[in-house]
Amino acid sequence: MASEDEEFTMLFQDFYPSLCRFLECLLGGRAPLAQDLAQESFLQLHRTAWGTMPVGEARFWLYRVARNMAINEFRKSHTRYKLFDRVVEAMRPRARNPEQEYETQERKTLVLEMLQTLPEDQRTALLLREQEQLSYREIGEVLNVSESKVKVDIFRARAALRERFNKISGLSRYAGVGNS
Amino acid sequence: MNCSFTEKISSLIDGELSAGEAREVERHLPGCNECRQLRADFLNLRTHIAGFETSLQPEVQNRALKKILGTERRAPARRLDWSFGAPTVAFATLVIAAAIIGLLFYQSFNKSHRDAAQVAQQQKQVQPAPVPTGSAEQSKQQPQATPEPAREQQPAPGKGNDETPRRQPAKKIVREPKPGEQFAVVPAPVPVPGPIRPADSQTLTAMHFEKSETLLLAFRNVRLNEPGTAKEVSYERKRAQQLVLQNMMLRREADAAGDVQLSSLLESLEPILIDIANLPDKPDENAVLTIRQRVERKNIVPLLRVNSAAIARALD
Repeated sequence: MASEDEEFTMLFQDFYPSLCRFLECLLGGRAPLAQDLAQESFLQLHRTAWGTMPVGEARFWLYRVARNMAINEFRKSHTRYKLFDRVVEAMRPRARNPEQEYETQERKTLVLEMLQTLPEDQRTALLLREQEQLSYREIGEVLNVSESKVKVDIFRARAALRERFNKISGLSRYAGVGNS
Repeated sequence: MNCSFTEKISSLIDGELSAGEAREVERHLPGCNECRQLRADFLNLRTHIAGFETSLQPEVQNRALKKILGTERRAPARRLDWSFGAPTVAFATLVIAAAIIGLLFYQSFNKSHRDAAQVAQQQKQVQPAPVPTGSAEQSKQQPQATPEPAREQQPAPGKGNDETPRRQPAKKIVREPKPGEQFAVVPAPVPVPGPIRPADSQTLTAMHFEKSETLLLAFRNVRLNEPGTAKEVSYERKRAQQLVLQNMMLRREADAAGDVQLSSLLESLEPILIDIANLPDKPDENAVLTIRQRVERKNIVPLLRVNSAAIARALD
């Protein structure tokens, strides 16, 4: 039991931050909600599925369950959460200097706003590819779709984001997208 | 994006092209400004998205881990791998073989007795022919004969039924349960093949999970068409009524087997199935929504999917 808990702790330390980031991007930056859902996903894994599946598959299981939870959240009316998230965000301690903080925040807002313009399946596929470095086959397994759909979704998502980035003025500040 | 290679640029930066395709695209790139620009833009996008930092604080992470580890686990560390020792398999094989041989022997024995009974009946139907000739003799002999021989030789018309006792031994064997019981006793150790049951039970459970998942998905997709009423749910209701009984049976089996994980999943599924099974034909919108919310809150559909897939994999 102890070794199982150790194994679980290792998995948690490795993937909890990634899962939070994935959910945060998926939910449009609602960090507290993303952290709650990530915790809930791990809780479910620990209570029900842990020990019945290979550790390698647990990661895909987590992303699958977390994504389903996020989709459920999309369906709900979330004004309440938005307000709560803003309060939490305003109360969050800031360690960096204000300029750096401002720039990071600007960059995050830009990425989140761009991602929110994508359809949910394209956004999820792109996030799993760019942030989690999953292969097309693994993404297909998480989303329960074919590899070819994943390939097309990722390409379309990139093409759409590129077009929007190019349209936004002053993008050169962030990475020079569309300038070269 | 007019170049035909644009889609391949996306796969190229993901390392999802075959070696041949990748070489082809690499050869194309130096001569195509559009594709070069596209690759640069896609890589820039990657930098932005991958560089996104989560707002997660270390103390939140530690708190979450403590909370999770502090909750009681429903699932015991039980892997779904069924492995039997050679003696168990040999014993099970012997029992099955004995049962099959016993059954075959019983059938052939039964058949021979049925044939004997048929012959006896046919003979009984044929026997009355000599009756008229023997009746005179019999009237003479009857007072002298002892009961035993008289019974043996009696072809009397009025005592045609007495033929039956003569053939009775054959009939008795057919009716008597004893010979049959002997063979029925052979498969009696049937309760022993315990090792076979779990696999069957697992198959049933996997099928039950799949059916329940389908039902819950169908229920989730029921459209609420009118303001006060929901669409007819008679199909979902009937299906739930069938599944409730199976769910109860499987839960008891899981309890008996000490499979806490399975039992708890079935336990959380059961009230939902009961609620659906008890819905009226045209239920109130709120009733449907309440059940849906419970399904979503318990996150039962992904759990069913995951568990049925895990069981199926284990059975493979």
